[in-house]
Amino acid sequence: MIPFGIHWENRKYAYTQEGDKHLLTVKAQVLMRESQTARGILNYLPPNLRGLLEGLPDSAWCHLEEVRLRVNRPIMINLPGRELLLDGRGQVVSNLADAYSVSADDLVRTLQLVTGSSLYAVEEELRAGYVTVSGGHRVGVVGRTVMDGDRIQTLKQFTALNLRISREVTGAADSLMPYLLDRKRVRHTLIVSPPGCGKTTILRDVARQVSNGIPALGFPGITVGLVDERSELAGCYRGIPQRDVGPRTDVLDACPKALGMLIMLRAMAPQVIVSDEIGRTEDVSALEEVINAGVAIISTAHAASLEELMHRPVLRNILSIRVFERLVMLGRSKGPGTVEKIVNGRTMQVISNGDCGGA
Amino acid sequence: MYKIIGAMFVIGAAGFLGLTVANAYQNRPRELRDMQTALHLLETEIAYGATPLVEALDNVSTRVPSPVGRFMSEVARELSAGYGATVREAWGFALNGFRPETFLKEEDLSVVKGLGEVLGASDRADQLKHLRLAIERLKAQGHKADDEAKRNVKLWQCLGFTGGLAVTLILI
Repeated sequence: MIPFGIHWENRKYAYTQEGDKHLLTVKAQVLMRESQTARGILNYLPPNLRGLLEGLPDSAWCHLEEVRLRVNRPIMINLPGRELLLDGRGQVVSNLADAYSVSADDLVRTLQLVTGSSLYAVEEELRAGYVTVSGGHRVGVVGRTVMDGDRIQTLKQFTALNLRISREVTGAADSLMPYLLDRKRVRHTLIVSPPGCGKTTILRDVARQVSNGIPALGFPGITVGLVDERSELAGCYRGIPQRDVGPRTDVLDACPKALGMLIMLRAMAPQVIVSDEIGRTEDVSALEEVINAGVAIISTAHAASLEELMHRPVLRNILSIRVFERLVMLGRSKGPGTVEKIVNGRTMQVISNGDCGGA
Repeated sequence: MYKIIGAMFVIGAAGFLGLTVANAYQNRPRELRDMQTALHLLETEIAYGATPLVEALDNVSTRVPSPVGRFMSEVARELSAGYGATVREAWGFALNGFRPETFLKEEDLSVVKGLGEVLGASDRADQLKHLRLAIERLKAQGHKADDEAKRNVKLWQCLGFTGGLAVTLILI
């Protein structure tokens, strides 16, 4: 994830010795900043677990993706492509048997800190299975579900927590932007990618750039309506976006997409609506409404390839009416957020091939 | 001369003792009412605002007189200290500090203590049930305390002085 930032900030210094030195210092700064962001989750761990994790070096923290706590199972720390196990003194061990085993009490205390000792205040979030905390990080929660008819009433007897570090990568969508703009307007865009390829990160940065305006491309900032059903894009914590989503962005937090898009349309008169992960039938009708109102739409969908996208009935429907002008395919061939392909959604012709994401 | 001064001291001391006891009988119903008010406010915070507990307790603590108000802010302070104390622990800790300050009896405090076991640990509907139950039980305690106060306040107020008077008469 980090290379985005470095690449972007150093374009003007590239290929000189001066540039190399600069690159090193900037790289260190970026790494420290990343590490600090990740360390924010320490506030949500009880003292004994905090002690274990605090000792990890910044080089681990800056890449850290997840901390997993499961009752009576070893504490696991996930970095890209590998996992770390810690023993009771915070030392890295390789053997599962030596690792610190998380007690039920640890889990209860962590949950107390995560929810601010008030499960009732995060009722809705728990039903969805995760809680967003300060800094935009998210904590996934599983346990025993209590059903009320066919709807989850609440969760209890919690068995595992997953603390997921959220990072914003300013400039992640830099090289993508020229393809998404059409003079003073934004094209209807669908970002397609398998999980874990930086879909949300890219979408957030697109929203930020569109809202900010891009002087280099002569694009003035326009009003963005962000429908953030999973509180992931803006990372709202008590109603305040924890992520930079731009100065002209209105955030509708935790609202179902289909409903949210229509509310946005009526209430805030945006020029672009940004929303994560379309895929349900009701999303499509809302989408048509938005497009007919002359508002641009930028969204994402889960799929590994265009072919796979075509296999999903709802999405095939959307594609067959050819409303999306740009389809952006992401992958992780050069790290998360690699742009693999950009396709013109009207003609289905490939506009750009290979990486232009700068990973 | 000394006799008169001594007699006044005895009467004054005994009277003061009587007033103190009477005061305790008067204060218990008042504090029970404060506690009920506090729980009512907490109920509103939880039901309509879904305010996180620390914030809710802080809000409540500014609106009820001490020592109940101080108890609430103490719980909030413990919870926000950031070392992962559970509500039960924070509540219990604050309750220990509250005990010497209050005129509430152990039977009243057990109601309050019971609430600490469940506060914050379930969804909104469940929290409301627990809060309402605690308020009901405090109300019942309040009726008892009122009865006792009615019977005992006048009694102790007079008893102190008359007792002192009796003692001086015997000693003279």
